[in-house]
Amino acid sequence: MYEIDIEKGRKFWAFQPPKKKAPPAVKDTAWPNGDIDRFLLAELEARSLKPVADARPRTLIRRTYVDLIGLPPAPEEFESFVKDYAARPQAALAEVVDRLLATPQFGERWGRHWLDVARYAESSGRSINFAYPYAWRYRNYVIAAFNADKPYDQFIREQLAGDLLPAKNDRERSEFLIATGFLAIGPKAHDERNRQQFSLDVADEQIDVTFQAFQGLTVACARCHDHKFDPIPQKDYYAVAGVFRSTETCYGTIRVFLNNHPSATLSLPNDAGVTMYLEPLTTERRAEVEKQIQYTRNQMTQITGQNAFLRRIFMQSRVSTLQSQVAQYEADGTSRPLAVGVREGRFASDSPLYVRGERSQPGETIKRGFPRVLTTEQPAIVRGSGRRELADWIASKDNPLTARVMANRVWLHLMGRGLVPTPDNFGANGQTVSHAALLDHLALSLADNGWSVKKLIRSIVLSRAYQLSSYFDESNFEADPDNVLVWRMAKRRLGAEVLRDTMLAVAGRLDLTPPKGSLVARGGEGNVGFRGRGSPAGDPVATDTHRTVYLSIVRDGLPELLTLFDFPDPTLIIGERATTAVPAQSLYMMNNPFVIRQAAALADKLLAGDGDDTDKLTRAYQLCYSRPPSEEELQGARNFLENYGQKQNGRSTWAALCQALFASAEFSHR
Amino acid sequence: MNTFSRRDALKSASVGFGYLAFAGLSTWAAEKDNPLAPKQTHFPAKAKHVIYLCMEGAPSHVDTFDYKPKLTEDNGKSMRGARGFGGRLLASPWKFSQHGRGGLWISELFPELAKQADELCLLRGMHTDVPAHSQAFLQMHTGLFQFKRPSMGAWALYGLGTENENLPGFATISSPFQNGGPANYGSAFLPAVYQGTPIRTAFGGPAGPGRPGAGSAGVSNIRNPNQSSDDQRL
Repeated sequence: MYEIDIEKGRKFWAFQPPKKKAPPAVKDTAWPNGDIDRFLLAELEARSLKPVADARPRTLIRRTYVDLIGLPPAPEEFESFVKDYAARPQAALAEVVDRLLATPQFGERWGRHWLDVARYAESSGRSINFAYPYAWRYRNYVIAAFNADKPYDQFIREQLAGDLLPAKNDRERSEFLIATGFLAIGPKAHDERNRQQFSLDVADEQIDVTFQAFQGLTVACARCHDHKFDPIPQKDYYAVAGVFRSTETCYGTIRVFLNNHPSATLSLPNDAGVTMYLEPLTTERRAEVEKQIQYTRNQMTQITGQNAFLRRIFMQSRVSTLQSQVAQYEADGTSRPLAVGVREGRFASDSPLYVRGERSQPGETIKRGFPRVLTTEQPAIVRGSGRRELADWIASKDNPLTARVMANRVWLHLMGRGLVPTPDNFGANGQTVSHAALLDHLALSLADNGWSVKKLIRSIVLSRAYQLSSYFDESNFEADPDNVLVWRMAKRRLGAEVLRDTMLAVAGRLDLTPPKGSLVARGGEGNVGFRGRGSPAGDPVATDTHRTVYLSIVRDGLPELLTLFDFPDPTLIIGERATTAVPAQSLYMMNNPFVIRQAAALADKLLAGDGDDTDKLTRAYQLCYSRPPSEEELQGARNFLENYGQKQNGRSTWAALCQALFASAEFSHR
Repeated sequence: MNTFSRRDALKSASVGFGYLAFAGLSTWAAEKDNPLAPKQTHFPAKAKHVIYLCMEGAPSHVDTFDYKPKLTEDNGKSMRGARGFGGRLLASPWKFSQHGRGGLWISELFPELAKQADELCLLRGMHTDVPAHSQAFLQMHTGLFQFKRPSMGAWALYGLGTENENLPGFATISSPFQNGGPANYGSAFLPAVYQGTPIRTAFGGPAGPGRPGAGSAGVSNIRNPNQSSDDQRL
């Protein structure tokens, strides 16, 4: 039988520790801004290619705003930048970068990138879709972590083992507990009948997300057989499975019809400053709910006849739902701070290897540990599940993958293409690294700079490569059509969030204060599948004016705007979103009431402003595209106002014009 | 006619970039590697379309087309090994007989259809890992309920492409919200172009009197609330 050779597997580049290398010498010494550029330019020069010209300042500032905070610059901001840039380009950009990194909007943008990877959602998905009303706290934790520039190694430790870390005070204790929501928010089949199968599936999902997110490895493939491509034997899978099977996952949910696996939730310390979102429960309301519970219970005892069994199940569901409403409150009526996450299980033990992944076929018991190909030292797990040890090992500088995988994610979001183009798969089946030395340089500087993600972002944005234009160049294109060597900046479409936030922002309707909680949280426990049939008034995309990152994320029930514009499926771990072009997107931009409403709001804003039509048009172009209109565009727009205005009133005419600006490619790209 | 219409504005705004997806589509048409282009089948195919009716809530297979003499024999016996259940076996109350030259077993509930027995092809080999509606439903459409996988329709479109350039290659009418919802017609890890296009009222379920969104059935965002149908054509 074929056996995986671990020793040989360790020789694969990604499993070797990153190596420090001096940046290569380049011929054009004037071009590079720093080491990043030297690594890139050397590769270009080796193929006799030259990078294209720098981007125009207004392109550069829009790009920087969109990439760092997910919003366009206000006209005043980009105008002052353009002036400043002419005098001292690099310093002007550095100031903008530092300012943007310090805004709360930065965490909302970059936290969302992480939430894609963390398959963040507020419901179970799968066959029966139960709400996770406290999952949103994890979302806010992630946003706050990026804003605080929490060191990435600490960010890892908190998400995998926050419950086991020593905390300075109650506030930190809360934060650490909420962080473990990472392990609790995964998709689950709550109607699974077998308890053991369910717990194996939960552990499997945790292994999958942990290793893909932090290590860029598909370890979960080895559940049923040795990994087909990477040196991960089935034994190594069950070594990790033992860790997660010794952990209790607290995602909540209640005992209702089709939920066979309700769990505990985590109670956060009181007075820990966590956001509360429910109005206090009045004594009257409590009495009313308790009366309903009593009434339903009485009825249950009296049911006889046909379908009594079924009717009792539904009544029990009603009792559970009512009880869960009261359970959110303390005795004095204030709401209880609850969260989802993990804690140590009642028993810690090694897991057997299940032959072919079948729970009916347990084999030998496998000592808890880490995949052998990644380390020669196995942990000494003396007490508990071993989760703390796992977290420390992943968050270590000695781990060959951790820093590389994160540095690659950051690079991808800024440059449009990962140095490893498959950000969640650094294994044999992933695509090869284009600039191995540069990736190691970024990885090592991430780890050496106190794992500061902001510093890494700053160094990339200030590189010359980031500031390139996205112009076409025939000979470069011929040699490197996919821009692997970074001879220009990739042009990219705005994601669903940026698109929606930008429409709200230019219309002057964007509310930058974070909302408290989420719609799912307010809806409470229960089956969200039944709730899917709302009314248009209840469509949060239409009425909510907060940033899109705060919209509720229900698995298999995403708002139309998000699914249309390539929001990732929150059941899957997605390091890089797809970009598709389908007719339904243009239909949305042309006919959806949300778009129409924002266009009308922008029209009102323009009409309320000073100046003649030319001033208004200029303002509109500046808001939407961060540039003034050309003479030709002005003429075209004036013609439109005149002709269309013969049939429609001024407001409708301007609204139609604004909507046309929204629907253009320039609006939706950066 | 020299009026500058709304459509002209949409087209010419922003240096004639055209709108997003129309630009995208025309590029597609020009591209040789259109992901939806019709593909050669491995074997010559007679079928022109795949029409799949998922009739959830229909009468049981054991009462209609799935002849189970052993079940009749074991009527009233308790179910051995049925995990977590403990119910008793119930034979079909309907009589089965063989029909057509092929001798297809069909119950007495379908006397007319039975006359067409030789025109039918029945697959009686369906099996579910878990005896529960929700998982079985998802498993039937995607092959698995534990992990997210592309749906049958997505695979068919991926493998065969579509000859129609103007309409979706894979459409699903009155698609479910429950039992996995969109996962049943989703593309999972296949590119999103292969996912099914849901056609239904804005709020699920078939259009009909008294239902929310009745009359607005169809592809979403096809109508502009501020424009008449005629204006929209301009």
